Amino acid sequence: MAVSKCNRLNGALIKELLDSVESVLFDCDGVIWRGDQAIAGAPEVINSLKKNGKRVFFVTNNSTKTRKMYADKLAKMGFNATEDEVFGTAYCSAMYLKSVSKLKGKVYLIGSNAMKEELLNVGIEEVGTGPDPITGVQIDWANVPLDPEVKAVVVGFDEHFSYMKLNRALQYLSNPECLLIGTNTDTQLPLEGGKAVPGTGCLLKAVETAAQRKAQVVGKPNHFMFDCVANQYGLDPAETLMVGDRLDTDILLGSNCGLKTLLTLTGVSTLADAKDHQLSGCPDRLGMVPDYFVETIAELLPALQG
Amino acid sequence: MAGAVSSKGCQKIRGSQIRDLLDAKRYVLFDCDGVIWNGETAVPGAPEVVSLLKQQGKLVFFVTNNCTRPRENYVQKFSRLGFNDVAQEDIFSSAYCSAVYLRDVAKVQGKVFVIGGNGVFKELRDAGVPFVEEETDVSDGSIYDCPLDSEVSAVLVGYDEKFNFLKLAKACCYLRNAECLFLATDPDPWHPLRGGRVTPGSGSLTAALETATERKATVIGKPSRFMFECIASQFGVDPTQSLMVGDRLETDILFGANCGLDTMLTLTGVSRMDEAEGYKDSDSPEKKKFVPDYVVDTIADFLQAQEED
Repeated sequence: MAVSKCNRLNGALIKELLDSVESVLFDCDGVIWRGDQAIAGAPEVINSLKKNGKRVFFVTNNSTKTRKMYADKLAKMGFNATEDEVFGTAYCSAMYLKSVSKLKGKVYLIGSNAMKEELLNVGIEEVGTGPDPITGVQIDWANVPLDPEVKAVVVGFDEHFSYMKLNRALQYLSNPECLLIGTNTDTQLPLEGGKAVPGTGCLLKAVETAAQRKAQVVGKPNHFMFDCVANQYGLDPAETLMVGDRLDTDILLGSNCGLKTLLTLTGVSTLADAKDHQLSGCPDRLGMVPDYFVETIAELLPALQG
Repeated sequence: MAGAVSSKGCQKIRGSQIRDLLDAKRYVLFDCDGVIWNGETAVPGAPEVVSLLKQQGKLVFFVTNNCTRPRENYVQKFSRLGFNDVAQEDIFSSAYCSAVYLRDVAKVQGKVFVIGGNGVFKELRDAGVPFVEEETDVSDGSIYDCPLDSEVSAVLVGYDEKFNFLKLAKACCYLRNAECLFLATDPDPWHPLRGGRVTPGSGSLTAALETATERKATVIGKPSRFMFECIASQFGVDPTQSLMVGDRLETDILFGANCGLDTMLTLTGVSRMDEAEGYKDSDSPEKKKFVPDYVVDTIADFLQAQEED
């Protein structure tokens, strides 16, 4: 069935779309902010949506902050939001290990202090965070002491990533029972001013290559992130809108979960990318075609404030 | 449909079969780790095998993906482990071949940003290829804002135990320029150590960089053809008169297949007979290239071939 897709959202269509949904999920980087700068009009959009009775959630693959840290950042930028509305991969990975993996044991963590904190919040201890430079010679590396309570290797964004960490992960993973979990596969972590640094995807790929196995990935486009929100708040996919800037994570998540999808062009993906997927006719790519697009989410404002 | 059209290969050979095979070969290429030595221990009989082949007038080459040493260190290792008459010219390591590639094939202008160790640095220096050496404990700049050298026109990634996020970030910045070359010494995802343990290989570091840049590296080492082309250009080697002996199906045997050489798997290293047979029984034509023509338990079996009449 040919459903009309990739339509410019403007005029009356905006109000029509917003009236048809009860909850709106926003990605963060490239959608409501870039680095430490809010996208112009974004706080007003979020706040107006809430005033209009919509539920708003933030769903981000970025694993460097806890829910609390995100709430603080949101507040500082003028967004009216609470901790409970934020779903980052630090929090969701901890939830995944707790509720899906039902992990009994510790985690070898390549990741941030935020991830460490979220794990501890669900009662899971970790080893490994922080700098870990190489010492000794090659045979020492194969014989690094392993904590027998470690039952999973978890990989998130880690600016202290090093060969030694990769090595430790490999040693733990030589036990086939040891789980391998990744927060996300994004190849870049966006910063302000259009800059970017290598993303978690690269670190995860290094671990997967060395260990010759694939990780279970928690973040978008895996439906787990949506499940997390939906289970806690009873969302109906048919009445939920996903707003994102990346076709292969945000939009694909939306498609995978039966949500309506809106692409904003203030981030990574371009309209040309979207059209490309649409014209490809390839079933694997059609999930990356958004229902609608806008140049910036600020375009939603008139319909909300009018 | 069970089985492919021809299920040849994986032929375990001994004695006169080995002798007949070797009689037809003028050039023998050996991988090192797991074939002629394991760590600091020569495979028993390996030094005698090499001497014997040379006495028979064959040209013997050593083709290794291991980029951690310069060739002159390899010469010392050969000598230390009892191999006589192995000259630097006989050794083709991925570090050496990367330097040759940069100098003679890419004809690189400008500097090379290296993620690697002394093995690579020395070979680049010897080849006269300028490079930028990343100091790991210099904290000028962070991953978010690092100073770049404007003369860098190529990135070479190899085994680097000092690999860290800063190096990854810098390499990515350089590779954002499509004109900047992207080379990898070898694709090995892990390296075997004594006692069945493993350590992450160059391939895992290359994978990180490929993912970050969404670019594919040009790989110098096996199974890519370049190391053979290096040998052939220096010694005029005829593939049909050559035998590649290795222990890793996915690198050595595939390398041999890619270069049109006969291939022999020796079982003193990484790959096992059942793995080779698994590839042989596979329906996928791609997998056929991993199947060795011949298999020996150890290259010391070559000596036995000489003893039999």
